[in-house]
Amino acid sequence: MEIYKIKNIAGHLAKGFLNNPLTPVIAVALLLLGYLSLEVMPREEDPQIEVSGGSIIVAIPGATPQEIANVVIKPLERRIREIKGVENVYGTAMNNVGMINVQYYIGEDREASNLKLYDKVMQNMDQLPAGTMMPMVKPFDIDIDIPILTVAFYKLADRENNTNTFYRTIREIQQNINALDNVSKTTLKGVKRPQFNVLIDLHKLSAYHISLGQVANAVKSISTNAPEIDNITSTGKLIVFSVKNAIDDVDDLNELIIAQYMGSPIYLKNIAKVDYNYDIQNHKSASLTYRLDTNASEEVGGSEILFRDAGDQVTMTVAKLKGTNAVHIAESVIAELQKEKASLTAQGMGFIVTRNYGIRANEAVNELVHHLLITIFIIALILIPFLGWRESMVVTIAVPMILAATLFIALMTDQTINRITLFAFLLSLGLIVDDAIVVIENIHRRLHLECSKDQDFDEIIIQATDEIGPATNIATIAIMLTMIPMAFVGGMMGQFMKPIPLNVPVALGISLFVAYVFAPYLARKFIKFEKQAPESKEEV
Amino acid sequence: MESIVYKILSSKRNKFLVILMVILSMIGAVYMIPTKLILARMLPGKSANTFTVYVDTKTNASIKETKSVTSCIVNNLKLEKEITDMEVFLGQGAPLDYAGLVKGSGLKSLKNQAEIVINLTDKHHRDEPSFVMVHRLRSIINKACGALVENSSIRFTEMPAGPPTLATIVVELYGKNDVVLRKTALKIADLLKETEGLVDIDIMQDDIYTKYDLVPDKEKIIRSGLNVEQVNNIVFLAFKGMPIAYKNTRNQQDQIPIFLRLDDATRLVKIASKTAFLDKLLSLNLMNDKGMMIPISEIVTIEAVESSPTIFRKNLKNMVTITAECDMVSQVYPLLEARAKMMDLFSEEYTVTKVPGITTYMFDLDIVDKESGAEMLVRWDGEMKVSLDTFRDLGGAFIAALVLMFLLMVLYYKSFALSGIVLIGSFLSIIGVIVGHWVTDKIQLYATDTHFFLTATSLIGFISLMGISARSSLLLIDFSKSLLEEGMEKKRAIAIATATRAKPIMLTAVAIILGSLLLATDPIFGGLGVALIFGSMAATLVSLFFIPVLMDNARALMPPECYGKSIHMDPETKMTWCVLTDNIKSYFPYTKKEKCDEAKVAYEERLKRKEEEEEKRISELKLAKKKKKEKKSDKK
Repeated sequence: MEIYKIKNIAGHLAKGFLNNPLTPVIAVALLLLGYLSLEVMPREEDPQIEVSGGSIIVAIPGATPQEIANVVIKPLERRIREIKGVENVYGTAMNNVGMINVQYYIGEDREASNLKLYDKVMQNMDQLPAGTMMPMVKPFDIDIDIPILTVAFYKLADRENNTNTFYRTIREIQQNINALDNVSKTTLKGVKRPQFNVLIDLHKLSAYHISLGQVANAVKSISTNAPEIDNITSTGKLIVFSVKNAIDDVDDLNELIIAQYMGSPIYLKNIAKVDYNYDIQNHKSASLTYRLDTNASEEVGGSEILFRDAGDQVTMTVAKLKGTNAVHIAESVIAELQKEKASLTAQGMGFIVTRNYGIRANEAVNELVHHLLITIFIIALILIPFLGWRESMVVTIAVPMILAATLFIALMTDQTINRITLFAFLLSLGLIVDDAIVVIENIHRRLHLECSKDQDFDEIIIQATDEIGPATNIATIAIMLTMIPMAFVGGMMGQFMKPIPLNVPVALGISLFVAYVFAPYLARKFIKFEKQAPESKEEV
Repeated sequence: MESIVYKILSSKRNKFLVILMVILSMIGAVYMIPTKLILARMLPGKSANTFTVYVDTKTNASIKETKSVTSCIVNNLKLEKEITDMEVFLGQGAPLDYAGLVKGSGLKSLKNQAEIVINLTDKHHRDEPSFVMVHRLRSIINKACGALVENSSIRFTEMPAGPPTLATIVVELYGKNDVVLRKTALKIADLLKETEGLVDIDIMQDDIYTKYDLVPDKEKIIRSGLNVEQVNNIVFLAFKGMPIAYKNTRNQQDQIPIFLRLDDATRLVKIASKTAFLDKLLSLNLMNDKGMMIPISEIVTIEAVESSPTIFRKNLKNMVTITAECDMVSQVYPLLEARAKMMDLFSEEYTVTKVPGITTYMFDLDIVDKESGAEMLVRWDGEMKVSLDTFRDLGGAFIAALVLMFLLMVLYYKSFALSGIVLIGSFLSIIGVIVGHWVTDKIQLYATDTHFFLTATSLIGFISLMGISARSSLLLIDFSKSLLEEGMEKKRAIAIATATRAKPIMLTAVAIILGSLLLATDPIFGGLGVALIFGSMAATLVSLFFIPVLMDNARALMPPECYGKSIHMDPETKMTWCVLTDNIKSYFPYTKKEKCDEAKVAYEERLKRKEEEEEKRISELKLAKKKKKEKKSDKK
């Protein structure tokens, strides 16, 4: 009998692994690695888009927009244009303030861009007009600036709560949350900061013949903070003393003597209302309206929806460090908040999680994984009538192996699991089953051919694999080639869909390998080679 | 299957019919795009659990006025069943998200700005997708709250399905003359408002309002022993207030400022007028270096002036931005309509010319104000620009993919014709993609009254389809070739190959179709799913009926009797000289005829030898079996 000469790498691979005891070990290891990667990989909803840019804020008190535009914006714009990689420069000239927003091309290295921007501003400090305040350079930072979780704290109904203690409690919680792993920036929105408010009655001021400047100076002069002084006694012992800040509470301010009028001292309380409250000059505020539990309203019997205006609220935002798992961070933050819940309720405070990208990311990922599994199952089912259930099982096992290996490579290359990555997997699913199907189908076909009835089972498998090798190789490479140019799409969209050209070709490459290595191996294990069938026919 | 293909191949008329059908359907499909049977769009809407309302009132609005608008919105939204909570952020932006990052939400700090975050119940338990909800609420809210404060704009911002842009439609108006710029911007905004499908129109420019300047009387100030700085400080301190000292505390994370200001009763001016303001200043005194009290009203005069609006510049040019959102429609058609209108209606006051050249800014217009001669540039940015950029890049990627594939095929087959067949085959799947979108659009329009757009994801689907259908054609050509090598007649060989490969081709197509079914239900990747499903259907039909016809016509695919056969046929004699590309071959048809004849003879000999061996082996096997049987029967 003529010895079959293997022509293609497909045949070589199939032959090499067909009887290799390592094959199942590798297969199991691949599946395990894939599962681990799925669990370990950071999850996000949207892929990270590297946006670099920043804003420069220059203030000249008292300047009009035209002045700002001419003396600050125009010269600075020209300087900024000198930086390589800048796509757009936006200038805004307002009263008193000029602002320049710099936008780099998508994909420019963020750290380098920030440095270049800062450097450019610093280099031209001497060219800024007189009277300018120190320019501020604020780079954008998506990872840090976009919070993954926001929580709104509000006051519970019919509970009086001091604004200052409300704020202080939230500050403490913020400190605790910042201490959690991988939490980067937390901010508070809608906060009211504690403040002594001295509100002066203008009429009384003029009645006592006091000017506003006098009041200001009097308060300023008495509220200084001094460092501690250490000295030694004559016996050589250290003695420490300090000058205490004269203002400690509202009463200290009230009793402040501003001036003498007709021989009697005038206290601050005589001309002004002093209280310890929050910053009344801050026009920024936040309020919350939330729906009351629907259960309650259902009991009333109405379908009407009840909302409660909770009034002022403070929203805490939590951002994560780059490349960390949004799901885990969100979970740990919420766990921390739940721990505090009892003490918060005691203080008359409640909270609502108003944004949770962690849950959203998890949902998106789980939903897509679910879709993947359903799709694999459907494909397996549809193959049964065509190929038989054993063959269909081979394909069903091959697909998770391909995905697992792709996931592992994605993990190794520092990618995250997000909507687009999984979408790339869904997209590749239709493509990667092909190789396995083609191999299995050919094995199946060969097994039922007349001429193979007296061949060795192993040999048929190797020949069948080898036979479709060249065409499959070329076809798979062709598909990979169609995907790769997508990596060169520029702009935000290119960054957004980058996981597709990154992962689909990898999955395809692996699918070839799996189709040549594991599909024949599995076929050998699962498919019963019924040698008797064609023979018996012949005899009849 | 075999007989059908054979029938087609054996008659010229049938072959012609198939080719004609394919060409007609191709033209028909492509024609669907300009006739708007298929609507194109960058990215479709995405149902989310949250959306944000941006509120901008007139430039000189107080925080109270802004608050009245936000309260109105919140109160109106309280009727909605699906809203769980709403957070109003007055005078600041909401916590940043992807959309806010690009829309400048983080920079908001003015009193006329506010954002409302609206959280909805989970989308899986909600019938109404968020974009439909926004579509419904938009007119209700604008009607109820839009007129509370003049010049306010209420805009609904949804989570973008893809990368965020400033707005769906962004018109940038560049020019040097600020006055003309302002006038023209208002005109463009009005035009956009009248354009169907555009909502949430906003001009990014300040309103001009009356403000009061305190003009210090220098002579009086110097004579009374004061200075201008003192005036500035005291006026600021009195009406705006400032922290004058700070105190550290033990139990808090911040320093506690001591804030000084007039109380509300004496600070607030009753009405905004010159005299009321002068009254206030009358009782505000300054102390000079001699300890004398001088009322501020004595040393300043008050002037009512127009405010100077903020100047916006982009890339070193003055610019006004006008933004608009698309209400559940593609941005392409309103944009084109608005542009056409602009060219039509503006011609009275402006000379409007198109900016020549094909770039991704290809909709730009140059306009010149006839009155003042000021030149301006109308630039269309926003999602349209991103779409054009992306389609351009994807198109480039697509062409690159085509070229790469073609080169690969040429490398493999050493024939341009065969490679061309594969390419044509894979390109034809576009028929399926377009028709599929049309069908889905009709179905979706019927079911949910929303359009299904041809999007960037559809394009990605099409690109990946090329590879898939190339595979079918490849397998077909490969099998036909090996059948030809075995000496079969060409038409028969193609027919048999088609019949044998029909099963795996259909299997893989079925796998893709089923694999994409779930994808097709996704709002974003629906386009891709539909493209894959209908595209692979088309690709299957094409590879089963059209590719065989092409193969039959291709001269490169020749039975080995003549000069056609390549390396694959004969690894022993390495007969590569017969293989030139078929184009060149047609010029030198008989140059290597003799060697080919030799090869043919050798081939036939080998075939004979093989047959003999086969027979021998079979007879031996039969002998062996007989022996076995005999043994078995012996045992029995």
